[in-house]
Amino acid sequence: MSTPSEESCQLAASLMRRIGPDAEIAKVAEATVATLQDMHVALTPVIGQQGVAALYRRSLHLCATQHPHLASICGSAQAAKGLSSLNAVLAEQSQADGLLFGEVLLTTFYTLLTTLIGPSLTARLLRDVWEPSLSDAPSQDISP
Amino acid sequence: MSSKATINRLATGVPGLDEVLGGGLPEFSFNLIAGPPGCGKTTLAHQMMFSLATPERPALFFTVLGEPPLKMLRYQQQFDFFDSEAINQSIRYINLADDTLAGDLDEVLRRIVSEVEMHSPALVFVDSFRSVVLASQTRSNPNNNLPQFIQQLGMLMTTWQATTFLIGEYFTETDTNPIFTVADGLIWLRQSVQRNSMVRKMEIMKMRGQPTLPGLHTFRIATSGIKVFAPAPIARVAAPREFPSKRLKMGVPRLDEMLGGGLPMGYSLLVAGPSGSGKSILAASFLAEGARNGETGVIAVFEQRPNHFQSAVLTDLIRSGQVGLVDSRAPDLSIDEIVQLLLGEIGRLKATRVVIDSLSGFELALAPTFRDDFRESLARMVTALTSLGVSVLMTSELEDRYTDLRFSPYGTAFLTDAIIVQRYIEVESRLLRIMAVVKVRASSHSDELRQYLIDDEGLQIGERLPDQEGLLGGRPTRHRRGDSNG
Repeated sequence: MSTPSEESCQLAASLMRRIGPDAEIAKVAEATVATLQDMHVALTPVIGQQGVAALYRRSLHLCATQHPHLASICGSAQAAKGLSSLNAVLAEQSQADGLLFGEVLLTTFYTLLTTLIGPSLTARLLRDVWEPSLSDAPSQDISP
Repeated sequence: MSSKATINRLATGVPGLDEVLGGGLPEFSFNLIAGPPGCGKTTLAHQMMFSLATPERPALFFTVLGEPPLKMLRYQQQFDFFDSEAINQSIRYINLADDTLAGDLDEVLRRIVSEVEMHSPALVFVDSFRSVVLASQTRSNPNNNLPQFIQQLGMLMTTWQATTFLIGEYFTETDTNPIFTVADGLIWLRQSVQRNSMVRKMEIMKMRGQPTLPGLHTFRIATSGIKVFAPAPIARVAAPREFPSKRLKMGVPRLDEMLGGGLPMGYSLLVAGPSGSGKSILAASFLAEGARNGETGVIAVFEQRPNHFQSAVLTDLIRSGQVGLVDSRAPDLSIDEIVQLLLGEIGRLKATRVVIDSLSGFELALAPTFRDDFRESLARMVTALTSLGVSVLMTSELEDRYTDLRFSPYGTAFLTDAIIVQRYIEVESRLLRIMAVVKVRASSHSDELRQYLIDDEGLQIGERLPDQEGLLGGRPTRHRRGDSNG
């Protein structure tokens, strides 16, 4: 896999914004699943549910091979039925592992799609996933 | 004001396709793009979609079973027309694989209708429609409700004012398929394979209310997309040719005199002769003479290696832009493609002199599938060029045969307005060259067989060989004056 692009870094950054300043594992799990769900929503009309599911499984596989210490989380995520179960899997992890997993998985998914349909079209299809969260930022800034 | 419905014609954005369709694509038509796998159906659909779709007139592209959308997007974006920014703006992809897998056509129709109602597209594509049909047939009822489905789809798309394209893998047009009946337009793509050459051909089998161009039209797929080679339109002659015609100088001393004062403007001239007889040199002189008089020319080269012209003059003319070069090394050429290239250069340079060097090389450059129709295609090319008013010089390799007198190997001599023939003869253990003007339509011309030489200046036409006879037999004998005296 190639190095993460600027856009995939933005995706990871948007994950951090969704999590907010208080990065407890429940929030990490919730934000990771929410971001993945947004990606599913953006991609399903174009490539179908099965296409998105296949990309997701491939991303988990790549995460496990490239980051061996995430292999067990990836294995549990593979075994989980759907994204709602992923939330429960992540909630059981340490905050640091959960955060790393979320970041790596999103970046891997993004980069994988880039290798298939190119950076320009990937950005076009997934831009909405990270752009709305930009407007959320101020409200998080003012929260205590 | 007319009370009849106005059918707008959409410009497809595919070069040559609007001409073949008879003036563009009728708006709100319900069309089928059919053909075997790999013939360019999806590419044609995408090219039209990217050209026609705007945020105000968006397109919906339904992907069904078949080529996975990821693959389709991966490959389609290699074409220049693909614009990622248009996706989710003026173009929306919708995957119906899950709905189709269930095999319920009513459900597929419901999904299509709901998406169409939501987005109000001006253009709808379903790729591949064939897979919708096949999926529906896997159920217990082999015919399912296909005819009703197609009929309803056609009706719905028209009432929603959407120009629709169904894309499908069909192999034989003789199938009794309900889609063929319902569709307003049937665009059939084919691949003709002969030996190791492949030529893509398109046929508009049906386009309601349109004077389409009949027959098979070749097309090519390049990174710019599909380009259809529509036959060149034959310009109507506004008025009969005026006599005496203006004459063009040939650039070879004494040849103009042999032609009766030069080549009449707008004529086609065939220069036939064996290898090495100086046909290409004569052709180069013709173009150089034009350039001297401020005219521009075009040369289509099929024989010599590129950038290896024997004539330095010609090389200079090409470099200076006074002569345009058509040097397509593409395999599987069609006559229409060559004519398009020639017309493009003629238009660009406002050329008045055209050279095709040579017909023999041209025939070899053509895909085998066109060789059977060579004579007919050549006639079309000559007509298309001369109808523009340009003067055309074509060279033709002529095998030396001393047992019969022929001027072209294709029986094409009748196609041209003028013919010059060159031959080798043996005289006193020397190989000499002779040349004669065989024909200049509607003009007097020399009937002499003149000896000529080739030197650094080009062709140098000399005198007749009055003391030789039987020149055309290749081995002339000395004319014995005494014999005629008794």
